[in-house]
Amino acid sequence: MTDQDNLSSIPQAAAVPKKRRRLSVVWIIPILAAVVALGIAVQRILSEGPTITIVFKAAGGVEAGKTYLKYKDVNIGIVKTVKLSEDATRVVVTAKIDKSAEGLMVEDAKFWVEQPRVTLSGVSGIGTLLSGNFIGLERGSSTKASRDFTGLEVPPAITVDQPGRQFVLQAADLGSVGIGSPLYHRRLNVGQVIGYDLAEDGRSVTIKVFVNAPYEKYVTNYTRFWQAGGIDVTLGANGLSVQTQSVLSMLIGGIAFETPLSAPDSKPAAAGTSFALYSDRTAAAAQQETIVQPYVLYFSESLRGLSVGAPVTLLGFPIGEVTAVGLQYSPSTDAIRPRVEIAVYPSRFMSIAKTEGGLEQPVRSERERHAFVQRLVDRGMRAQLRSGNIVTGQLYVALDRFPDAPRAKIDWTKSPPELPVVTGGLAELEHKINRILVKIDKMPLEAIGEDLKKLLETTDRMLKRIDTEITPELRTTLEGLKRVLESADANLVGKDAAAQQELREALQEITRAAQSIRGLTDYLERNPDALIRGKTQEKP
Amino acid sequence: MSAEALTAIKLGIVSCEACGLLTKPADVKHPGHCPRCGEELALRKHNSIQRTWALIIAAAICYIPANLLPVMVTTTLMSAEEDTIMGGVVLLYMTGSWPLALIVLIASVVIPLAKLVALAYLLITVRRRSAWRRHDRVRLHRLVEFVGRWSMLDVFVDTFTVALIQLEPLMSVKPGMGVMFFAAVVVLTMIAAETFDPRLIWDSGNDREGQDD
Repeated sequence: MTDQDNLSSIPQAAAVPKKRRRLSVVWIIPILAAVVALGIAVQRILSEGPTITIVFKAAGGVEAGKTYLKYKDVNIGIVKTVKLSEDATRVVVTAKIDKSAEGLMVEDAKFWVEQPRVTLSGVSGIGTLLSGNFIGLERGSSTKASRDFTGLEVPPAITVDQPGRQFVLQAADLGSVGIGSPLYHRRLNVGQVIGYDLAEDGRSVTIKVFVNAPYEKYVTNYTRFWQAGGIDVTLGANGLSVQTQSVLSMLIGGIAFETPLSAPDSKPAAAGTSFALYSDRTAAAAQQETIVQPYVLYFSESLRGLSVGAPVTLLGFPIGEVTAVGLQYSPSTDAIRPRVEIAVYPSRFMSIAKTEGGLEQPVRSERERHAFVQRLVDRGMRAQLRSGNIVTGQLYVALDRFPDAPRAKIDWTKSPPELPVVTGGLAELEHKINRILVKIDKMPLEAIGEDLKKLLETTDRMLKRIDTEITPELRTTLEGLKRVLESADANLVGKDAAAQQELREALQEITRAAQSIRGLTDYLERNPDALIRGKTQEKP
Repeated sequence: MSAEALTAIKLGIVSCEACGLLTKPADVKHPGHCPRCGEELALRKHNSIQRTWALIIAAAICYIPANLLPVMVTTTLMSAEEDTIMGGVVLLYMTGSWPLALIVLIASVVIPLAKLVALAYLLITVRRRSAWRRHDRVRLHRLVEFVGRWSMLDVFVDTFTVALIQLEPLMSVKPGMGVMFFAAVVVLTMIAAETFDPRLIWDSGNDREGQDD
């Protein structure tokens, strides 16, 4: 066969011994692919953050796959699903959180839907107009991880890492305070209200405030907080006082605090310390007394114009206040007396009195204090109602010295003890005028009037008689007199009167006599011897 | 062709792949080198089955991240969106353009997978020396080879989009990791189809000792 021939002429291939390879190098490719894919998978799994669920009341603008979770404006996750809760009252949002932010998912982390908000204190979330709403996150302080959260309605006012301190205020009512209301210290905005809640018994309100660093150190255990919102207009014995902190606080309310100078120490209060919130600054300042000595005063005059809170002054210095005004009815005598309860703060007296030592004791010890007050009363100290403001008629209680006052003894066994009183300033004046009026009243005014009337009648008659009987005679007399005067004028005073003529002549005579005397004296001067020898004949 | 058809192996000769010179192999297992050009002789493609397997496995591994990882990251002013292949298909279907969704699904998901399955099927049947429907199997191989290059279309679209949409800072598109793996799947299956020696399909049955591997 030609095929066979041809095949026989086919050369033999060169045999080269070769190492046998069991496994082809090509297996590197799948191994490489597997390694890369595994690597990516591992990286993905490791970087896989937790999935969390947040329950919101409403999830405005939250969309699955589009809404991000942001912490400090950095994306830390994305919303995966938005669903209604089973009872369809809430919105359940599930979100995938980045691995890096896993540590933020702790129990007390706060979530809220960030959207544009316009409030009186400012505008926030403007950025979301462009970027769309996002879910804001605020770190919690807990270390316990959690995956289920309840979203907030509004963003928290402060962030956890904001330096400062949080305090709790107890108030009777919320007043004009709201979340975000400013906190003032010496009219400086140093913090804000971050939350409020009704106390469990419903009888008071708990307000949480945050004081920014470095001002938190001014809050000590003795600091007083008061409502500084709105305009506080008080009409008291001290006159009209208007207090506001700032225009902003007038609108949205605010809280102010101050530490009294007399505070024993200035150690900053611990975070979370609870304080009372007073309704105004005066109330806040007044309550700082530790020793309160109540007294009761029974006045005899009207208490109109005396209000609770009116000052009690000692020689003009405020040392207490009126705590109650009322009436005292005693069935035995069936009498009603005006009753005034006052509170006196001995420590206030301490702060204004310069002592030469020894006063500490009377204030600190109750017995000494009683003895001290008794001594004051012995020296004439009495309580008196005085008018603080003549226009408004506001009254205050003055403790002043009346050395003439009758002796009085304080009965300390009563509670509260009664302080002796004297009728006071305006009331006393009123009393005196009254007495005068009574005296005037007692005068026989009608009898006097009758007499006076009779007297007037007599006078009238007399005048009539004068008019009818005396006046004509008087006229004739006057006419006679006139004639006398005229004749006198003609005889004595007139130009051609005889008397005038004679007088003129007489005067001329006298003038001539005087001339001759002068001639004589001249002659005698020149010729003194003429006195002896006589007049010599002059020689021509 | 009948079962008695002559092959080079049956005749005990081998053709040099490089210069075409027919030689008698030095040894059945190791045919040796071409005496004219020195090319290593092989009765069948060297290590064809093993290599094809390796490539198919590599492609199969890559196929998983190719579908799970995003192929495209679209960043707009508001958000960044990551799209996977299946995500795109779902989006197209949801927006109503189901024909497009079908095209993408077939071209990007079904075909690569089908290729892998087809090649694996071919390899398994060769290993089992199956004589069943050899013609169809050869046709299948031809189809796999032909279709392979078209799968790169996805990669091209992706790269074009990335290159064109760069409107910083309003909008920008970046390739995701998925597209790398997808390209790897396509390239690996193409090479695998190339590596597979269709002659092995015909080697089965009556000629058991002439196997390379």
